[in-house]
This record gives sequence, C-alpha cells and structure tokens, in this order.
Amino acid sequence: MSEKFEPNIVAFLCNWCSYAGADLAGTSRIQYPANLKIIRVMCTGRVNPLFIVNAFQQGADGVLVSGCHPGDCHYMEGNYYARRRFSLIRELLEYIGIDPRRIHMSWVSASEGAKWKDVVEKVVAEAREAGPFDQFRRNKINW
Amino acid sequence: MNSKPKIGVYVCHCGINISKTVDVDAVTEYASQLPGVKVARNYSYMCSDPGQLLIKEDIKKQGLNRVVVASCSPRMHELTFRKALAEAGLNPYYLEMANLREQCSWVHADREEATAKAKKIVASAVAKVRLLEPLEEKEVEVEPATLIIGGGIAGIQAALDIANAGYKVFLVEKTPSLGGKMSKLDKTFPTLDCSACILTPKMVDVASHPNIELMTYSQVEEVTGYVGNFQVKVRKKARFVDVDKCTGCGICGEECRLAGRIPNEFDEGMGKRGAIYLPFPQAVPAKYTIDPERCLFLTRGKCGKSPKCVDACPAGAIDFEQKDEIVEFKVGAIIVATGYDVFDATRKPEYGYGQYKNVLTALELERLVSASGPTGGQVVLGEGESAFVPKEIAFIQCVGSRDKSVGNEYCSRVCCMYTAKLAHLVKEKIPEANVRVYYMDVRAFGKGFEEFYDRVRREGVRYIRGNPSEAFKRGDKLVIKAEDTLTAKTLEDEVDLVVLSVGLEPRKDAREIIDLLRLSQSADKFYLEAHPKLAPVDTATDGVYLAGCAQGPKDIPDTVAQAKGAASSALILLSSGKVKVQAQVSSVDEATCRGCGYCVEICPYGAIELVTVNRFGHKVTVARVNEALCKGCGACAAGCLSGSIQQKSFKDSQILPQIAALGVKQ
Amino acid sequence: MVDLENLRTIAKETISREDVKYFIGWREGTYGFSVSPHFVREPAEADKLIFSPLCSNNLATYLTLAEKLPVPRGQEPDTRKVALMVKGCDSRAVVQLLVERGIEREQVVVIGCPCQGVIDTKKVEQLLGQPENVVRARWEKGKIICQLPDGEKEFIKEEVLAQKCLKCRYPNPVIYDILFGEKVEPWCQEEDFQEVKEIEGLTLQERWDYWQEKFSSCIRCYSCRNVCPLCYCEDCILDRLNPTWINRSVNISENTAFQLSRAFHLAGRCIECGECERVCPVNIPLMKLNKKLSKAVKEMFDFEPGLDPEAKPLQASYRPDDKEDFIL
Repeated sequence: MSEKFEPNIVAFLCNWCSYAGADLAGTSRIQYPANLKIIRVMCTGRVNPLFIVNAFQQGADGVLVSGCHPGDCHYMEGNYYARRRFSLIRELLEYIGIDPRRIHMSWVSASEGAKWKDVVEKVVAEAREAGPFDQFRRNKINW
Repeated sequence: MNSKPKIGVYVCHCGINISKTVDVDAVTEYASQLPGVKVARNYSYMCSDPGQLLIKEDIKKQGLNRVVVASCSPRMHELTFRKALAEAGLNPYYLEMANLREQCSWVHADREEATAKAKKIVASAVAKVRLLEPLEEKEVEVEPATLIIGGGIAGIQAALDIANAGYKVFLVEKTPSLGGKMSKLDKTFPTLDCSACILTPKMVDVASHPNIELMTYSQVEEVTGYVGNFQVKVRKKARFVDVDKCTGCGICGEECRLAGRIPNEFDEGMGKRGAIYLPFPQAVPAKYTIDPERCLFLTRGKCGKSPKCVDACPAGAIDFEQKDEIVEFKVGAIIVATGYDVFDATRKPEYGYGQYKNVLTALELERLVSASGPTGGQVVLGEGESAFVPKEIAFIQCVGSRDKSVGNEYCSRVCCMYTAKLAHLVKEKIPEANVRVYYMDVRAFGKGFEEFYDRVRREGVRYIRGNPSEAFKRGDKLVIKAEDTLTAKTLEDEVDLVVLSVGLEPRKDAREIIDLLRLSQSADKFYLEAHPKLAPVDTATDGVYLAGCAQGPKDIPDTVAQAKGAASSALILLSSGKVKVQAQVSSVDEATCRGCGYCVEICPYGAIELVTVNRFGHKVTVARVNEALCKGCGACAAGCLSGSIQQKSFKDSQILPQIAALGVKQ
Repeated sequence: MVDLENLRTIAKETISREDVKYFIGWREGTYGFSVSPHFVREPAEADKLIFSPLCSNNLATYLTLAEKLPVPRGQEPDTRKVALMVKGCDSRAVVQLLVERGIEREQVVVIGCPCQGVIDTKKVEQLLGQPENVVRARWEKGKIICQLPDGEKEFIKEEVLAQKCLKCRYPNPVIYDILFGEKVEPWCQEEDFQEVKEIEGLTLQERWDYWQEKFSSCIRCYSCRNVCPLCYCEDCILDRLNPTWINRSVNISENTAFQLSRAFHLAGRCIECGECERVCPVNIPLMKLNKKLSKAVKEMFDFEPGLDPEAKPLQASYRPDDKEDFIL
C-alpha cells in the first residue's frame, strides 16, 4: 500500500437506479477512484440505517447510500423511507462526533453515469479529508 | 437446509475487458483462499457455452453447492448463470455475482488498484453466497389481454399485431380519434407515399377488429397489480354525444353557433371548427365530440333557446347529461405508445415564432401542403386581400434539437428528412419558389434517405451550412441572419416564409405515465428502456413495454418496427400463459414478530397484513406476507425493529457479512 | 395535596371489577429513595399505594414486560384488563404503545395522575452533601418536602426535580380512563433542547471525546433497554447471534454501536420519560442522546410521538417533501 491514506468506502446502491447508473458509468468507460465498493440491494428502502453504524465498526472510513430520485423509485416509495431514516442516523452520528463527511446519500438515476462519477469523487475526497476512521473499528480495539 | 458451503468462484476475463485492468490470476488465487471456497477458476468468457459448462461440471463433479461468478453486472447475466445452476441441478438462487467489469475494470485504469478492489468485491460475494438460501420460483397465470396506451401509429400497429394473434387488446387514446401525429402528415419521407392513405385503413381495422376494445377520448387513471395481472382503471370522458346513435353525418357541426370559430387542433390551430366537432374527416371513430371548455351550453348553461346541435341531430344523439365513465379491466401486459410533443418554437424567441405570422413550424406547413388542410393544399399565406403565395422560403433546422440552451441535447432524427420532403412538396406546388435550408449537419442515415436528399438538392433546394442567429421583420419581408460556415460569409437573406424544423420532445404529461407504471426517464426525459441495446422495448417494470416516440424520437418505419417488437414481447408473455413471480420476497419470523405493523404501513404494495396467531395459547398479532403481491424491495425489512421480517437473498444475516468483507483494510 | 384515600378507593373499585386482572401502582420501597412498583390483585393490597415525588418509575413498561406463560391445554388465557397508574410522561408511552400495537386500548384501564414533577435523588444527595435516606416526600406549593430520618427538609422544586421534569410540557396524562387528582398547570411551554444544543456547539472531536468517555463506562447491563417501556421486542436484535449486530464483548466499539442502535430504535418513538438515564448504573447521560433525536424529529418532521394514538409511526411513514438538503 502507498503511504497516502486511501479511504475505504462502503456504498449501498439500489438495483434500479444507482446500481444501473454505476453500470452505465462502466459501459461509458468513465473513470473514477477505486476506493468505493458497492453492495447491491433492490431498493434503498432496504438499507437499515444500522448498516451504516456497522460499516464504520467493520472498518469503513465513509459510507454512501444511493438511490433513485424522488418520484422515480422502482418501488414507488422506498427512497422516501430511506431518506427519512438516513437523515435521522446522520444527525445521530454527527452528534456523537462522527464526521459528516463520512456519511453521504445521493440520488443517481440509471442514466446518470456521469453523475455517479461526480458522487464517488466527492464522497472519496471528503472521506480523505476526514482521514482514517479507526477509532470505531471493531478489530482495532483490544480491551 | 444449508449444508456446509462448497463454493465455486469463477473469474471471467471477458475477453480482455476485465483482464486488461484486473489481474484475474491474482483474484482467482485470492478467492481460492477464502473460507468455504472449494474451486476457483478463471476463464476467457464465463457466459459462453464452455464457460457455463465449466461451472456445471464443477457442480456435478466437485459437489459445489454455491457459485460466485465474478464477471459483468448481475443486471447483465444473473439470469444466464442462474439458469446454468438450475441446469446442473442446483437451486438458481445459490448464485452471487461479483461485478468486476462495469464497476471495476471499466472504471479504473490502475491495475494494482483495480485488482485490489476486485478482490474485495469477490470476498464480499463469497461472504454473502455462503449464507444464501434456496428459493422457490412460483408462477402465476397471465391475464390474456393487453392494454395499449396511445392510439398513434405505434399503438395502432401493436394493437393490430396482438389482436391478430388472437389476444384481447384494450386501446386507450386520450383524444377523440385514433391517428396521432401521423394523421396530420401529408406525405411521408423518403417515398412520398400519402400518409392518410396508408394510415386510415389501419385505423379502420382497429375500430372493427373483434379483439380490440377501442377507448378514445379516454385516459388511464390507475394501474395496480403486477406482470401478468394488472388491474386497470380507465376514465372514458363524456363526449356529450351518444356514440351508439351518432352517425357522423356532421349536421351538428355545421349548425353549432360556434362553427368555424374555434381553432382546430388537428390543423395546428390554422383551421377552424365548432364546439361540436370531428377532429378530421377520416377520424376513427367517426363520432362527434362536444368540447366542454368551449360549448356555450356546457360553459354557460344556455345556448340560444335550445342548443342548435340538439335541434339539428337527426339521430337524437346529443346528450348533455352524459357523465365520465370509469371502466375497469384486467390485463397481463401493457404497451406505452404515448408519442411525443412538438417542440414549442416560442422557446427560441430569436426566430420570431408567435411574433411574426409568416414564421411557421414544419407541422403547420405540413397542414398547409395537405389536401385535407385549411387551405386545401395550397401554400398560401395571409387571408383575403392580403393573401399571397410565398416565393422565398427558408427552413431553419435543429429548432429545439441538438440545443443545450433549451435542454435538448439529442437529435430529433426526423427533421432533416421531413424538411427535405417539405422542400420538395413546396417546390412541386410553387415551382418558381426559391427554397433554402439552413442546417448544421444533414443526417440522412436511413434507407433511401441520402438518395432523397440528393434528389431534393437536384430539384434546386439550396442547403446553407450555418444556423441562423435570428429572424426579424423588415418591411413585408423576414430577414434571416446567418453565417455560411463553408464560405465564412455573413448572410442577410430576405424571405417571405420562415419554416422552423422543430424537434420532438417528451410529452408534457409524461409524468402521468411514470407515476402510473413506475417507469424511468433517460437523460433526455423520454421513457427509459430496460437496456439500450438488448432490451429496447422492455422497461424496468416487468410486463410493461415501450413503442414509438415515447421512448425517443424516431421516424415511422422505426416506430412501426418497435411497435411490432413491443407487440411480440407482450405476446411472448401472453402466449406462455404463466409468469414467474419474484422469488426474493419478504417473509416473517412469526416467533419474534411483535405485530407492531410498521411493515404493513411501509409496504407500497399492500402485500403485508396483520393476522392473529396462537402463541402458546395466547392470541398474538403478527405480520404475514402475501408473496404474490410482494415485489421484493425490502423496505419492510429495514423498518422492522426486531428484524423479524427479512427479504430473501437480502437478509440482514447476508448483508452484514458483505459489509464485513468490504470493511477489512488490506 | 395528594388524596391517598381517594387513590386507594379508586384502586379498590377498579380491582374489584370482573374485567380487571391487576392494578399497577407505586408503593414505598424498603430503602430510602426506592419506590417499588406495586401489583394490586386484592382490594386489601390497595392500601399500600402511594403517589409522591418519589414515583419516578414508568409503570407502562410492565404492560409489555408481562410474561406470557404457555397456557395449559384446555385453559383459556387471562385476557382481562390491566389497570395502570401513569404520570403525564408515562401516559405518552401508553399512547405510543397504542400507535405501534404493543397493547390494545381495551386491554388497559389508565389511571391518569397529574404530576408536579419527580425528584432526582442524585440532586438531593448533592444538596445534602451525603447519601440520605429519604423515606417519603410530598409536593407543597412550589416546594418539595422530604422526610429524612431526622425530620423534614424543604427543597425548592427546581433544585431537586429530575431534568426531564424541568422541561416537562405534559404533566397531565394525555390519555386516561380515570383521572386521579386535579390537573396541574404546565410550567414549561416549549422544549428548548438546551442540553442538546450545548453538545451540538462542541467541535466534532470534542463531541467524539465526550461520548467516547461516556460510552467507555457502559458495562452493557442493558438496564436502559430493559426499563424502557418501548423496548419490548421478544427477541432484541442487539441480543441476537444470527445475525450478530453487536458483539458480546464489552469494549468501546461495541458499546458505541450498542448505544447508537438503542437510541436509533427510539427515534420518533422516545417519549422522554427518562427511565433509561435514571436506571443507568454508570450515569451515562442517555437522555442527551434520545433528546437529540427528539430534536431532529421535531425540526425535520415536526413530529412528537406519544400524543396521538391515531398517528402514523414516524419511521413507517414519509412525506415526499421531507428535508433533503444533505443529498448529493
């Protein structure tokens, strides 16, 4: 590994919009940083906010949840639930001192391959600024 | 149920698509060390027959019970590999895909980084696949009927094809007549055959077809259900004319007090009609309709002593008491053929449309050259004394297309050729006319297009490369300011008539269908197909297909071809008679469910209900999922505080190990 | 003045009803400051009931805590009602339980007790400078009189009231079948979330350090969860092994995740009775976590739980125009 800090980002993407958008970025050969790894769910509505807490515990330096634009959810409402849940967990995590630059949510549609790149770049850049997040890691703690 | 996992990991080179940036050998070696992995291999094309055979052989010979394919997006080949598993006797849901192509090799250039990421993606897939459970694919019957929304050429063609195959069609059209935009055209490029002559027979066929229920002046209000079993509600708007009695004789239209006073939509507002009207002579059905926004009796409650149409109608068909009617029916498939809107040229004010009366859109000129149009096919401008035949005519191309300033980056694909056609027709009618076309590029890509373009130029139509900056009035003339980019000359051409070759836009009411059917839009705001290459008529909603310009601008042959494609897709579904429903549905652990009903509130499909069960002699309330209604979004699972409702293949117990695998720092 | 005679009469009448299983109230404990829940099954047992500034316990927790033992074959389960004494804050737990079907309305007889605030025993001890054995206490016109072994001592109400009571806007029960005592005038009109704002004013690092220090002392006794009237899952996900959300080990990472999960599960549900904080043996200011979410819920969704039994649960609903300025 290089000496430079490379943030590790875990992202939860809905199958229909953001995952497809990320696929489109690939089909279009749009280049973006390799720091972010994707977990596919059918809908952002599936994303339990405690996944975010868990991701930090497991070693993520940043987390992204990305779904369909409001009104475009394949399941009609899932992204609205996701948005509400996310806004709450984000408030809570920031309140206990977790840098909000580590916690992101985005709307990326199936046609927004270029936007997906912008989102990844921003999420990675912000997590890089926030620095390594080892204080919450499960396996780092010995007592 | 879950025997000890014996996992096979198959890393695909995808030719060099993956192996160019990802070290597939290293990934394979890494995968072979992961817990539970029995076999790890890589191969040039996993999706090929020999590739699939590799997996099938290993399942049989090595006793694999879980498979990870590390190749392209699951949106591409998940079904392919599920089938391979099934063919080898393994439950198809024991598969997990690692997306190494679209989300790794294609988006990263650095081999080291891409390989490191690929390892993680594979590790995450292996972590999940260990915990996957076998799922059962259930089948439901398909209602052997199709709803087609839109009665233009796309909807007409699809309706006829499906009806001719022996299946019921409900064709819903918003306006009072079938025909759509094509019925407004005079001739069609590049063959110059008469639009009405080829369209009208089809319209009549639709109306008389025993398998087609035609609902004009109607709108789809609600669609519920799922592929194979959609419930549809259609509002048939009141025409205030009893269509069973109306013979289409037209006496009412002549007698109406407002006859000849209301701009006729069919003639782009250039002709006039009454408040009771037939949109155009060949309209199907040939039934009159009263315009509720204009009719004196309907708007003011009074029309002379008694409404003239009532007095005039020999059939007694006028019925002011008529109400909207809601019709409900079931279909198995839906085709969206809602067409397009013509670009509103007032959004390019520099060309003076709406300001100067001799600036027309191409569709308006189309009506002028049409024998059924307001001038009987004469290209005449102005009225009465001041009427004249234009001699200097200019077409401006790409108005509202290829133009970021109005938000339309795309090419409308028909304007170059309809301009050539109109230029030809104008030359035919006014041989001495001087016709110029100001263009950016001429795109004559279709069959016979280039030849036609050549012919039109040979006929004396001048093509000037350069988009005009403005059109303004000077005396009686219009002046076009442009730069001929081939000669770098600045031009100020005086003309009698400016024709704007307006582009095609998504319908302004496109949103209604999106909300109705959960469609997506592409960047250009036309409806998004499931895959731009391989599923061009499918949508993300199973059982819903696209035809015609609703999906993107196209000419008539392409529209008809796509309509036939959509019809064939619908027919595949209908004729198979059965459709597999989502297997990755939610299920409830009734032993721990606390019956709070959050999931019931959350479920967008009403697929969850609370039921009373007996728990050790106590009556307790728990949630229960109706698997036929569940679409597998998992929103319930994320909202469940006790984790009692879980989505199959996306359980907490399956996702948390994925997170753990991705979290590890290498 | 609390009319205990009246309370006991109400209890006797209630427990004598055929459709009532038992009556839950408070009685004096066996040690100073400790008031015990009292389950009245016979009219005679009603004479031990009290209602005083020491009655902190939110008895609503017993509605869902009651163990449902297997019913022997051939017998019917006892489906009679439970009568329950509730203060204003406790009554909101009842409402929230109704919202999420933890109980059914016809299963409970709610005895609403308008409340003038309960004592934070730690504050009394601090004022006295030593652990004291407060045997009884009573409200008296803006004061609280405590009976100590060596006689009575008077305190100004604000000095000894629990933090949650100082900001209490619902001293009167929001739901009840029988009202015991007279309604009181609320002394706080608006929640200003002062203690939350103080923490919000710190830097990220200061906040992290503050909470890490607090969470590091957590011994994971789960008292906070067990006492909470709204933590009543049969099988708490934080106890589960499959999947394991939180590891068993007591360390700062797991403690933090545990406390975040607990607080998050109460987002839009916590009715701020403060029981979790009261019972915490290591004095983690849990209400500062819960209140942060109450504040967020109020600000973002204009929602307050436990007031309307017909309300939709916050996390099982949405509005298309929910705030989304944080979305990329």
